[in-house]
Amino acid sequence: MQSNTPRSDWRFTVILAFTILLPCLYGFGGKFIEFIHIFRGNTDGMFAVTPIVNYLLASLGFFCMLAWATMRGMFHDIEAPKNTFLETEEWLDHRETETAR
Amino acid sequence: MTNESLTRDVPPNRALIEERLVVWYFLASIAYLFISMLGGFLMAFQLIRHNPFNGIELLSPGRWRMIHTNAIAYGFLANAFLGNLHWIVPRLTLRPVFSRTLSYLIFAAWQLVVLSTAGGILMGEAQGLEWGETPVWIDPVAQLGLGLVAVNFMAPILKIKGPMYVTLWYFLAAFVWTFLTYAMGNFVPQYFVCGTSAGAVGGLFIHDLVGLFVTPLGWGSMYFFVPILLRKPIWSHGMSMVGFWGLAFFYPLQGIHHFLYTPIPMFLQYGAIVSTIAVEMVVLTVIVNFFGTLKGSSRALATNLPIRWFFTGMVFYAITCAQCALQTTLTFQALIHFSDWVVGHAHLVMFGVFGQWLLGVMTYLFPRLLKTEWASPKLCEWHFWLSSVGLFTMALDLTLAGLFQGWSWAALQPWDASVEISQPFWIVRIFAGIAMFAGQVLFCVNLWKTWQQSPLNKASLKSEALPA
Repeated sequence: MQSNTPRSDWRFTVILAFTILLPCLYGFGGKFIEFIHIFRGNTDGMFAVTPIVNYLLASLGFFCMLAWATMRGMFHDIEAPKNTFLETEEWLDHRETETAR
Repeated sequence: MTNESLTRDVPPNRALIEERLVVWYFLASIAYLFISMLGGFLMAFQLIRHNPFNGIELLSPGRWRMIHTNAIAYGFLANAFLGNLHWIVPRLTLRPVFSRTLSYLIFAAWQLVVLSTAGGILMGEAQGLEWGETPVWIDPVAQLGLGLVAVNFMAPILKIKGPMYVTLWYFLAAFVWTFLTYAMGNFVPQYFVCGTSAGAVGGLFIHDLVGLFVTPLGWGSMYFFVPILLRKPIWSHGMSMVGFWGLAFFYPLQGIHHFLYTPIPMFLQYGAIVSTIAVEMVVLTVIVNFFGTLKGSSRALATNLPIRWFFTGMVFYAITCAQCALQTTLTFQALIHFSDWVVGHAHLVMFGVFGQWLLGVMTYLFPRLLKTEWASPKLCEWHFWLSSVGLFTMALDLTLAGLFQGWSWAALQPWDASVEISQPFWIVRIFAGIAMFAGQVLFCVNLWKTWQQSPLNKASLKSEALPA
């Protein structure tokens, strides 16, 4: 089965991706810059190290995963898995029915 | 893969999926749902000053409230999700889990963890963290159990070559996140940090438990079952991947929105607010994808009960997201903080969204697992309507109660006044709870009748009757 996503769906997906990405980058960027200011001058805010380092480590892990997935070609035909999954399900159900007979 | 190679390489269905374990997990899940609801009732009766167990320490409402929340998270949701995983992962990867023996061991260990948690809480050994009340002596066992769950399910997933379906992405992430989130919430504030810092970690924990344990497992299950039920692929796999990576990178940023107006620096609070609004967009990918897939098949809402469970859950999801967008702002938070609005919101998410989806999955899977149709489709309908209407009434009632309480506090009325104005809402809440409880009782009656007519039951009776 070939992927048959119309171009308008793609555009919608890309727009949504940026709508998510930009405010998040703004939010995190703001947090990080303030964090550096506090780290340099004000020791009262030092406890912010724990949540921010937690976040950075988790994000680093996911960034590596994203890079690994891209290198393995997991996003080449991004719509393909939704069709292959249904075909396999159909095959499993068919086999189950055959076995039951 | 061609059909020939599939037939050659894939083990027979019986070897692929341990169906008995799926049934066991679902039954355990339903049992904990009952325990949780009983805890909720006890707390609800306490609020209207009719606590039937007044003065009995072991049955004190404060402790049963913790049983209520923990039984939902670790009893109802976790067991139902583990049952789901035993069905979905082998079917998507075409490989059995790492070890069948390990699966049974995890089942037994997990029930031990949940029951010990309940026992510990009743004995007054709770940790001082919402949803992390698990007594300290259970934490290492639970942590080990979560590690074994990850090993058991990640083994077949990691053997996949080529593009993965979105469900597996969510599951992979959930195994890692749940393990880390549990460790962060149960060990870091207990042994390593204190004060405001522990508060910040607590905020991360409670929200990450929803967003990084329940959400990815729920979304992953939804993306698996909805296309199967509608017999057509999801609207956009690309958009579902945007949702996945959005959740991965941005969800952990928002925990501090639970601690607005606290001594935590404002830059962290503002960052959490902005991230929360962005994560609303991530959730929108799931909602749009669901309704995009449903488009053209809306008749299924009348004819296909499991899809109706998913649909109702998705409508509730849209409502919770609208609530989130409001309650994460400082202005609105000033009004509703500490009020019943939050309780209504929590019920809407846990039971209204993920509970509804899981009950939909059970409605779909039990006939397949027991090899027979539901004994009474009418009781299935009653289960759906009582649960949905009951939950909606409760959520609406508590939302309104929260607003009235907030306005009462904002007007600097005495605390007692807010308790008095809450009484009618708390009485309505009990009736809504009774409706939901009745729905689950009918579900169990139907399940028992279905089991009675199941060929599996007849086969087991026959084998018992045979002479040795």
